[in-house]
Amino acid sequence: MSLPVVVVGVSHKTAPVDVRERFAAGAEVLPEILARLTSRPELDEAMFLSTCNRVEVIALAKTGGAPDDAMRAASRAIREALREHVGASSVDEMGDWLYEKNGEEAVRHVFRVAASLDSMVLGEPQILGQVKDAYDAAVAAGALRSHLSRCVHRAFTVAKRVRSETQLGAGLVSISSVAVDLARRIFGDLRHSTVLLVGAGEMAEQAAKSLGKDAKAIRVCNRSFERAATLAASFGGTAAPLEQLEGELAISDVVLASTSSKSYVVQRDLVKRVMKQRKGKTLFFVDIAVPRNVEPEVHQLDNVYVYDVDDLEHEVAENMKARHNEISAAELIVDTELGEWSSWARGLNVSPTVVALRAKTRGVLVAELERSLASRLKHLGEGDRAALNQMIESATNKLLHSATTRLKQAASSNDGGELVRALQHLFDLPEGGQGEEGRTTEPPPAEPSEKRLPH
Amino acid sequence: MSDGLANALFVLTIATYVVASALFLRFLVRGKGDVGKVGPRLIGLGAVLHAAHICIASLVLRVCPVEGIHFPMSVASMLMCVAYVLARRRLRVEVAGAFIAPLALTSLLAWRFVGGGAEPGDGIKSFILPFHVTLNLFGIAMFGLAFSSAALYLVQERLVKQKRIDGVSRRLPPLDALDRAEHRFLLAGFPLLTIGIITGTVWARRVEMGATADVLRAAFGYVTWLVIAGVLFLRAAVGWRGRRAAYGTIAGFGFAVLVLVLYLVRKDPPHPTATISTAAETVAETASVTR
Repeated sequence: MSLPVVVVGVSHKTAPVDVRERFAAGAEVLPEILARLTSRPELDEAMFLSTCNRVEVIALAKTGGAPDDAMRAASRAIREALREHVGASSVDEMGDWLYEKNGEEAVRHVFRVAASLDSMVLGEPQILGQVKDAYDAAVAAGALRSHLSRCVHRAFTVAKRVRSETQLGAGLVSISSVAVDLARRIFGDLRHSTVLLVGAGEMAEQAAKSLGKDAKAIRVCNRSFERAATLAASFGGTAAPLEQLEGELAISDVVLASTSSKSYVVQRDLVKRVMKQRKGKTLFFVDIAVPRNVEPEVHQLDNVYVYDVDDLEHEVAENMKARHNEISAAELIVDTELGEWSSWARGLNVSPTVVALRAKTRGVLVAELERSLASRLKHLGEGDRAALNQMIESATNKLLHSATTRLKQAASSNDGGELVRALQHLFDLPEGGQGEEGRTTEPPPAEPSEKRLPH
Repeated sequence: MSDGLANALFVLTIATYVVASALFLRFLVRGKGDVGKVGPRLIGLGAVLHAAHICIASLVLRVCPVEGIHFPMSVASMLMCVAYVLARRRLRVEVAGAFIAPLALTSLLAWRFVGGGAEPGDGIKSFILPFHVTLNLFGIAMFGLAFSSAALYLVQERLVKQKRIDGVSRRLPPLDALDRAEHRFLLAGFPLLTIGIITGTVWARRVEMGATADVLRAAFGYVTWLVIAGVLFLRAAVGWRGRRAAYGTIAGFGFAVLVLVLYLVRKDPPHPTATISTAAETVAETASVTR
């Protein structure tokens, strides 16, 4: 049995944005939510992840009996905490939107989320930072202490491996980022370039956010001067009416066209005249309007480049395709890491029995030694007594080495439940070692032969 | 001993340029390797070995490295590598090493294996000759760099025009950076070439110019100057930049290379004019009478 990790949440796959908005939580309310989660007796550790596309609680159930029962109780506790958070009248009200993962599947889910395999935009890099922020907040609130903390740390390792060993994060996958990339391919950095927005609609505003970020200046040219002035003011730019387009083109380097005009706003003859005024200085058009604003023949002019929405989308699609081709390689990394994690986690189940067996064996040997030291061996000095104690330690280790190793091997394959029960029966060890005692607040001490979980 | 050292340095320089060329080619075509660090460093190492080779070889052969054509050509390619290493970061033309390394390699191989023996005799040497050669060397080194930037510009421009913006395009510098680098290298090389042409014209008065090859060499030299001057003038006056400027730069460098090749393959050394020849004979006779 793996660790009783439980994940309950909503994501872009299960809930529309208006529902996700209700679940979302900013950094300021995070401590309150974490406090609510940790106050639940059913939960041992918890973390709250809130991004644009997902809000979920990752928790470790507090076990005392059967792990399945513990996870069911933890799930109910999380749902109740979420109900309080969103202010729903009942848990059932949220039921349609929530998803739930338990045990090994929950750990796989955490790994996949951190590696951006479950993101709306596959391979996007922000999610890892968001998971790290959620982790830091949970640690700061004392909600993450031991095994779940290790699990999330392991997720970071998975994400880093996926990023470095596959091409899942390669290529740009948004229209505006491709436009910026193209502008950089032509002008290098945009610090010396002026960006001109032809059209002042929502699309222009969105694209200008990324395109105009590093630009020397932003100018807005629009049929409605008022609208141009408003948009220009929001970027600290300059506005001009559409009648002055020729003059604006002459002093700009990157032109983002997005008007709703049914005919070409920028024609070949106009650009030819402009290029003379510019003395051949490079001019780059990003035409994101449909129908197109820039006459396609403009692209044939020297030192003028026109990329329309199809070109950009083609690039985005190619990059997405390349990312999708990497999914299997990324999933393989997740599987490998999950296998190692599960093997380590299952080893935790037998640790209490190993500890008890060692304690019992050592206890018997020490008791026998002390009895002898009090009678037949009482003439021995301090040095001899220390040597005998050392001998007892070595004998305990050697005696239990093969038993411990085999128990752990069995644990990593089939939980070792049979062997644990047999040992408990044969050596009269305390029962229930796989439950509460199995997961102390600190991880059990590493045995000499125990494989440490790499971070 | 020095001969062996010169040969060893020659082989090492060749090997360094070969490895650098292969590395740049691999990076450009297959996108493999971190050429940003290793490639330019290899070219820098090649330039150091190359400079050492020029020093040792000129001592062994007792030849001034800025007279004749073979050594100067080798010096020019070495200077081109040095200029590349110094300017690559500022002008963002690291990948230009893809042209610089093979150019330097070709030049060094030509030094060793093409033509030979047709160097100017003592009769026509003057203080102008090393001056003329040195200035042209620096000029050609700059034009080599301008040519590399122009060639890369044409590749990148074609890819961007054809909207093939993945793969090779991603590994090339931005269009404007290439255009700017090409222009700056031309600006740096042009005054040197101009003074080189003037000093060459002055020196040529000492040499017989009867053979077709001699006339062609001089003509191509002037054409080189005219083409480069035209590229710079048209850029400043009517905005000829980008593709047109790149073609002009490549043509100018092509003529310069043609001049070098004509020098390299010439059969006979230049002859002094009759006046200079007579004067030289008189000096020799006077010297023998004095003895």
